[in-house]
Amino acid sequence: MEGSPSPFRTPVIPLDGPDKVTGAARYTFDLSLPGMLHAKVLRSPHPHARISSIDARPAESLVGVAAVVTGADAVRLPDPYYGVAIRDQPVIAIDKVRYVGDMVAAVAAIDEETAYRALNLIEVQYEPLPAVMTVEEALAEGAPLLFEAPAGGAAVPVGDGVTSLKEPRPNVLSEFGYRNGDVEAVLAGSDHVFEDRFTFSRINHFHLEPYVNVARASREQIELWSCNQDPFVLRNDLARIFGRPANIVRIHASYVGGGFGSKSFCKMEPLVVLLAVKAGRPVRLCLSLDEGLLTLTKHAGVLVLNTGVMADGRLTARQSEIQLDAGAYSDASAMTVVKAGYRITGPYRWMAVATCAYAVRTNSVPAGSFRGFGGTQASFASESQIDMIARRLGIDPYEFRRKNLLSVGEPFQPGDSGIDSDLLAGLDTVVDRLGYRRRAPSVAGTKRRGMGFAIGIKDGGGTNYAQALVKVLPSGRAIVNAATVEIGQGATTALCRIAAETLGLPLDRVRYGAIDTDHTPLNNGTHVSCATTVTGLAIERAAADALRQILEFAADRLGCSTGDLTLDHWTVRQGNYVHSLKPMIDDYFGAGYEFIGRGGTGFAYDPAAPLGARNLFWIPSWVGAEVEVDCETGRVVVKHLVVGADSGTSVNAQACRGQVEGAALQAFGQSLFEELRYHGTEPLNATPLAYRVPLASDLPERYESFVVEHGGPGPFGAKGIGESGMLGVAAAIANAIEDAVGVRLRQIPFTPERVLTAIEGAR
Amino acid sequence: MSQPIDITLTVNGRTHRLNVPPRRILADLLRDELQLTGCKIGCDQAVCGACTVLVDGMPATACTTFAFEVDGRPITTIEGVAAGGVLDPVQRAFLAHGAFQCGFCTPGMILSVKALLARHPDPDEPLIRQWLNANMCRCTGYQMIIEAVRTAAKAGAS
Repeated sequence: MEGSPSPFRTPVIPLDGPDKVTGAARYTFDLSLPGMLHAKVLRSPHPHARISSIDARPAESLVGVAAVVTGADAVRLPDPYYGVAIRDQPVIAIDKVRYVGDMVAAVAAIDEETAYRALNLIEVQYEPLPAVMTVEEALAEGAPLLFEAPAGGAAVPVGDGVTSLKEPRPNVLSEFGYRNGDVEAVLAGSDHVFEDRFTFSRINHFHLEPYVNVARASREQIELWSCNQDPFVLRNDLARIFGRPANIVRIHASYVGGGFGSKSFCKMEPLVVLLAVKAGRPVRLCLSLDEGLLTLTKHAGVLVLNTGVMADGRLTARQSEIQLDAGAYSDASAMTVVKAGYRITGPYRWMAVATCAYAVRTNSVPAGSFRGFGGTQASFASESQIDMIARRLGIDPYEFRRKNLLSVGEPFQPGDSGIDSDLLAGLDTVVDRLGYRRRAPSVAGTKRRGMGFAIGIKDGGGTNYAQALVKVLPSGRAIVNAATVEIGQGATTALCRIAAETLGLPLDRVRYGAIDTDHTPLNNGTHVSCATTVTGLAIERAAADALRQILEFAADRLGCSTGDLTLDHWTVRQGNYVHSLKPMIDDYFGAGYEFIGRGGTGFAYDPAAPLGARNLFWIPSWVGAEVEVDCETGRVVVKHLVVGADSGTSVNAQACRGQVEGAALQAFGQSLFEELRYHGTEPLNATPLAYRVPLASDLPERYESFVVEHGGPGPFGAKGIGESGMLGVAAAIANAIEDAVGVRLRQIPFTPERVLTAIEGAR
Repeated sequence: MSQPIDITLTVNGRTHRLNVPPRRILADLLRDELQLTGCKIGCDQAVCGACTVLVDGMPATACTTFAFEVDGRPITTIEGVAAGGVLDPVQRAFLAHGAFQCGFCTPGMILSVKALLARHPDPDEPLIRQWLNANMCRCTGYQMIIEAVRTAAKAGAS
């Protein structure tokens, strides 16, 4: 810990805790409106087909059905497409379906049962088309095209000299290109150049609160109660899609039952609004978790890394080609490839770097935001290869990293911000806790032990903005208004704590206000591990603004200057005198006055930075793993997992730990078993019965986490931590497996079959 | 065959006489008719455990239980755990350990832990893990929940 001591050392009871442990917490899932209808969605059984006709009349005439919506309704909307940067996903299928599970028609009826029954009455004639299920198939010469015409929108904006292209080639959604230095020359002058290829799997978010939205529409207003984590992004998308001004669209947010990226950006929300418009009544659409599995995934991908190194172990240059499987529609893929491409260098010093990353369209579930956002794919490939190179050169993997790691202050890439965390210190902690230096030599036998570690890194983004209000009542109680949604990350507590600390109030006097885009100040969404930093800064400034008003008021009443006064527990101190504020306020204003502080944060476009804005803070992830590999079965048991992160300053240490351990267990599951699989064109396990996520008994035998506080740009030195635990886990486990049995797993998950095949292949 | 049937449910100590279709699912009944929305429905397939309630003190997945199956049997939902508004030791332990994040699995998780501690007042780690396997948590990584269970056990939560 550097700088002034944190004011947040005392543990607190999370503000959302009492409601969550008593069942009183209200989620969008729990909302019911008078006269509300229930909707269900008909989904495509074909991976790729033209819709030749839809006959919805039998469904429409079923008793209890209020509305059926198809592409014929969507096509009449002013702009029926959505997606991040590139907009190619229709509100509901128009003319074509592009994956098994694509939304073809939707019914609103008096209850879910009637809506289900009506779905069976909708007659759809399909003309099947050849499908492309993998990146290789999609890129093959003459491959069938998912889209015949260019999509709306534009490429993701980046900095000068960096390439960001929209739909550059058939079936390629977007391409990101980055170069620094003459990679070819540096690689040619390197003592060794290693090329390695890594394959990353597709997983689902599996948030337990399903996707759920309730819409109500009239001529005057479109109103939506949504589990979405980005109320303002959604508001603006709905306004554009329905051709209405944004100020008539009102989004309400409640507690969100998990998301991990899935509930970001626009998805089925405009469909729910369209149903409400057509039915003339409020409509609730709650997807099943089966449908959730068909809505969004993390990007599968192939990453090929060419890395140069000198004989003494100095890294020289890295040339990377990254193909991410975007699935059928854009969602956030264009942005994810930018981030994956940029992060592929890892936290190391290079003379030259060249990256080409692209998102490839396939006839599978769309991929989009998932905690780590391209950083997990990049970290797996990069940290696996770093370890492989060290072992090939006969250098200890720890020493190899130490030699090449970026130091504090060194820019990640030219034009970007400097590294703000002591990467080596974190690695040392992992190595110590793992007992790496005093480990026993591997014993021959069928069960072999090994240790591995990894340092993942991602940026916290640079183009974030937020505004906030802090309202202070005459009683010395405050309400914080900001658009960061409580999705389980503990934002409510952290953000209120920042306001409370700034105002000198106890935490139990501060409440996080309900979110509704009519009243709540805007931000760019609950994203990029940025709530505490970006929205937190806006709140700190709003609280400081309220504090200034309070002190100016008191100084005016007391006939002194504000510099003579301090505010503490809602009393004004003036030297030895203590003045109670409430009587002063009541006396002057009567009963009705509140101090309303305003604050904001925004970070300007900077063309000199590779991604068009200097990164706000760096999110390191230190991971160490000790595994036991059964050479007869291929089973990998993680005996000890150590995961570390840097919170800058922990506003709530317990919540930080929860973020790190929760994220790391998601990555742990993906490393060993969890995967959304396809069998040909069909999803194989897109149902909770078959889709396996980590359970309590899957935990490593020893599971440790640590959080360091190296300072950050947020309030009181905070920075983001939510995605950290995702980044380094897969590579650390792969590295430990090679340490144990001398074989390299280049594809996750490391199933017994794959491990055994690798072991037998090496014999 | 689909004639409504009369059933009597005792939920959180209150007796309800209800006339329900045979296919009425307990979770829907609790949520829609008794407004006990602390019973969450996640997977709707008895996999995730979010809908866990106690029937005769034993955990049951309300999403796959017919209302008539529990006719005449006492049911506890999360709303019935804090007797007289005073938090139960398990709830207090969850609060103290921050053993929740999004909170969607928490009601079911707390009820499973109550059932565990009623049968095994001093469970060891493998037993805790085994019981928690019935309740998925996608947020926390489970460790803080396990710590809360240990604390609740020490506090004599049974």
